[in-house]
Amino acid sequence: MKTNAILLGAGLALIAGAAAAEEVRVYNWSDYIDEELLTRFEAETGIDLIYDVFDSNELLETKMLAGGSGYDVVVPSGTFLQRQITAGAFQPLDKDKLPNIANMWDVVSSRTAQYDPSNAYSINYMWGTTGIGVNVGKVQELLGEDAPIDSWALVFDPANMEKLSQCGVHFLDAPAEMIPAALKYIGEDPDSHDPDVIAKAEAVYAAVRPYIAKFHSSEYIEALANGEICVAVGWSGDILQARDRAAEAENGNEIAYHAPKEGAQMWFDQMAIPVDAPNPDGAHVFLNFIMDAQNMAAASNYVYYANGNLASQAFLEEDVIGDPAIYPDAATLDNLFTTTPFDAKIQRVVTRLWTTIKSGT
Amino acid sequence: MAENPRKPKPPTDVFTPWEDPAAKPLIEFRNVTKRFGEFVAIDDLTIDIYEREFFALLGPSGCGKTTMMRMLAGFESPSAGEILLGGKSMVGIPPNERPVNMMFQSYALFPHLSVWDNIAFGLRRDKKSKSAIAARVDEMLRLTRLEQFARRKPHQISGGQRQRVALARSLAKAPKLLLLDEPLGALDRKLREETQFELMDIQEKTGTTFVIVTHDQEEAMTVASRIAVMEHGKVMQVDTPAKVYEMPNSVYVADFIGDVNLIEGVFSRPAPETCQITYDESEPPIHLDATPGIAEGARVTYAIRPEKIRVSADRPDDLANAAFGKIIDIGYLGDISTYHVELANGQMVKAAMTNSTRVSRREFTWDDEVWLSWRETAGVVLDH
Amino acid sequence: MRRIALIALPYLWLLALFFVPFLIVLKISLSDTALAIPPYAPTLDLSEGWAGIRDWWSGLDFENYVFLTTDSLYWKAYLSSLKIAVISTAITLLVGYPIAYGMSRARDEWRPTLLMLVILPFWTSFLIRVYAWKAILAQEGFLNQVLIGLGVISEPLTILNTNTAVYIGIVYTYLPFMVLPLYAALEKLDDSLLEAAEDLGCTRMKAFWLITIPLSMQGIVAGSFLVFIPVMGEFVIPTLLGGSDTLMIGKVLWEEFFSNRDWPVASAVAIVLLAILIFPIVLFLKNEEKQWESDT
Repeated sequence: MKTNAILLGAGLALIAGAAAAEEVRVYNWSDYIDEELLTRFEAETGIDLIYDVFDSNELLETKMLAGGSGYDVVVPSGTFLQRQITAGAFQPLDKDKLPNIANMWDVVSSRTAQYDPSNAYSINYMWGTTGIGVNVGKVQELLGEDAPIDSWALVFDPANMEKLSQCGVHFLDAPAEMIPAALKYIGEDPDSHDPDVIAKAEAVYAAVRPYIAKFHSSEYIEALANGEICVAVGWSGDILQARDRAAEAENGNEIAYHAPKEGAQMWFDQMAIPVDAPNPDGAHVFLNFIMDAQNMAAASNYVYYANGNLASQAFLEEDVIGDPAIYPDAATLDNLFTTTPFDAKIQRVVTRLWTTIKSGT
Repeated sequence: MAENPRKPKPPTDVFTPWEDPAAKPLIEFRNVTKRFGEFVAIDDLTIDIYEREFFALLGPSGCGKTTMMRMLAGFESPSAGEILLGGKSMVGIPPNERPVNMMFQSYALFPHLSVWDNIAFGLRRDKKSKSAIAARVDEMLRLTRLEQFARRKPHQISGGQRQRVALARSLAKAPKLLLLDEPLGALDRKLREETQFELMDIQEKTGTTFVIVTHDQEEAMTVASRIAVMEHGKVMQVDTPAKVYEMPNSVYVADFIGDVNLIEGVFSRPAPETCQITYDESEPPIHLDATPGIAEGARVTYAIRPEKIRVSADRPDDLANAAFGKIIDIGYLGDISTYHVELANGQMVKAAMTNSTRVSRREFTWDDEVWLSWRETAGVVLDH
Repeated sequence: MRRIALIALPYLWLLALFFVPFLIVLKISLSDTALAIPPYAPTLDLSEGWAGIRDWWSGLDFENYVFLTTDSLYWKAYLSSLKIAVISTAITLLVGYPIAYGMSRARDEWRPTLLMLVILPFWTSFLIRVYAWKAILAQEGFLNQVLIGLGVISEPLTILNTNTAVYIGIVYTYLPFMVLPLYAALEKLDDSLLEAAEDLGCTRMKAFWLITIPLSMQGIVAGSFLVFIPVMGEFVIPTLLGGSDTLMIGKVLWEEFFSNRDWPVASAVAIVLLAILIFPIVLFLKNEEKQWESDT
């Protein structure tokens, strides 16, 4: 057996050698980087970059837990990161290879430490909130000037939703964020792990389900920008991207993002290296490249998400660093909540509940 | 009860409705033409068929006989002219509303139905009572001797049995007219001959009018009361088998039915009551009895069947015609032998003799010089 | 020897590509979900010898199957799949039969071309063709534009993301699987049988019901199963064309696997689906056998 393994290893090394240039495979969220950075990385390091995208934490976790994904860098969100660390999916970072880690911002790292104690396995890439994006004109046309565009009531009150269904409403297909949002709306603890409390979310959705056109985690950017829908429950930066696309297209759609006043979820997307990454050295090179202050600033300037890199703030454009929807002020920050991962049994309850909600049965 | 032309009967009883000007035909083709695109399958055809006839349409493939049958069944409609059945025009009447049934060449038995259900198929369409259907099917099974095969599927019985199922099925509705499309084509020779007589028997028992399509002249001669010989969409001759054979009206008919010697020559009347055909300077002319209607000096074809010519070593005195030649070839067929004799001028003549003696004692052999002789009435003159 | 090898080859193939994966799925369905790689427990540890096998064996149970019965989502999904499969098979048959009939009655020189046209869609990726339907059926899609342009409707029809779109997608995708066996059956049909039926007193319509339909029954059965069986587990079409409320077991299975990361329950769903499909699959094989017999 052992001889075979060695022979096999030697064979693989030969194949890898034959493949010539070094490769790094990165699996990141869709619409989540300035693609010029990818070109720059290849030019600076001489490493070939293979960049794939996904739009759901659940899909990423399936790949991580199956093992052998073949990726060197992946980007799970906080609670998912925590579960996957427990499952043994990631390798600890070698901080000696990451000199740029000095650029990181303690305000963020102290929060991400609750998912990844002492940030041993991950670095923060971006963070943001889950809130509501609206096409201001269309929503006001249907609900009047005082439409509650900064409240969960906009999307959870059936009276509002019945009217909004005329112009189209999309929700994220992400139970780990949509169920806490519904719990927050009815005044429950959004981070509850009690199945009876979690079950209350079903009634909230049942009332508005007929008016939801689609549950999807990436289509809403384009749909909101081109006016196909008028409301999307989504991630802050995505909705701000939609705002910019609409402005560029000059199609008259004025998009706005709000973290609802009742409280919105704050989340962190963390870059980590799978335990079976084919090229962990290359992965460290990529992480260090991303933590460069100017590179990180370029990414944030492009995707309108805040990052966990303090040094990059000097290079951020004013409409990013100065926008409270991206970098909230202290008061808003107080109103944001975070969640912790469910154990397997509760996870099953949550995901089943979500399937039931989506299918509308 | 039923008249059968093949059985000896008193002359008054002979079944010849076509000779009776008062008889009403069952089927009338009136100037029927059928075209398929450019191709003329039936060319201005007029013909009458009478009740209880066993009428054969005979001709090579492509002569239009199948088209005629399909027009009778209703699967094709004439391009011009009309077809009457029992005095009623059949134009526009679909197959399922005609009192006509057809037995298909392929038999077209329904493979998913038993023999019994195949026979009952047509009866069920008439909404007859269950008991009436059962009685009729059983009667048909008896008639065609298929009783013990009633429950079998078509693929579980022999070819001959299938043929009888097809016949039983087409007869079950007691049609006024039964059409048979090459009904015996798929059977081997022996079964075929047996079945021919069976068909005649059934036709006689049921009194149904049969129209049969065949390319087999023997079959047509055996079963039919009258034969229509067809060629290129036209009927060349309609007559009883004997007349078609003995008195063909054209070279085509003479040549198509049976074996024949065709000799071309010039017709003349040396004396008022004598006629002759000169076909070669070196040979004596062929003497004929009185043949009216042919002009002096006309080019004609003389047709004479081989069995009408006698072969002998010496010149016979009792027959009007004689010719001298040499035996080139002998075709031995068991019952008869056909001698191919070459005359002095190179003309080949076939003569058939019954073999009343055994082969070893046969009178003539190859290269023997023989005399051929025949009566004045033995052949027919066919005008061009 | 050579003969044995010849017979053994397909069986080895079946063993490697069907039976072994089936056993693996069955084994996972008896496990419990766990936060590990792979995400279920127990896993078989052969290095522990017999003790390892014993531990593994004692850790298996039918809990996941019991779970399937406790949540109405599953039987609703099975029933909904069954309903969608039955209805779309019926529609495919109704659409496919005239096509196959027309092909079998077309002139000989046309038939290879017509056959090609039926197979032609396979030249393009299935996914691209289904995506094309998204473009056709969308609110602003070609269909609505044409209908509005023609003045047939004034408001765009909502077809995409509904079950109607799923039926359209399924019928479109599976039509060749229906047409080809029907064509094979109808092509063999002897025209003289229909003439004989007419001759014996049937109208054309009646002859069709009494002769054509029974004689093409094996094609109908074969085509229906070829559509029904894969549609039962269909995932791509309901995902791309259906709405969030289109409930199909293939989609539930996908969600169990990818969204819930619950491999044991996903495996149990797959095993139950297989058990449901075994009945029609056996019927299908019986039909094939019968056809083989009647052909020889």
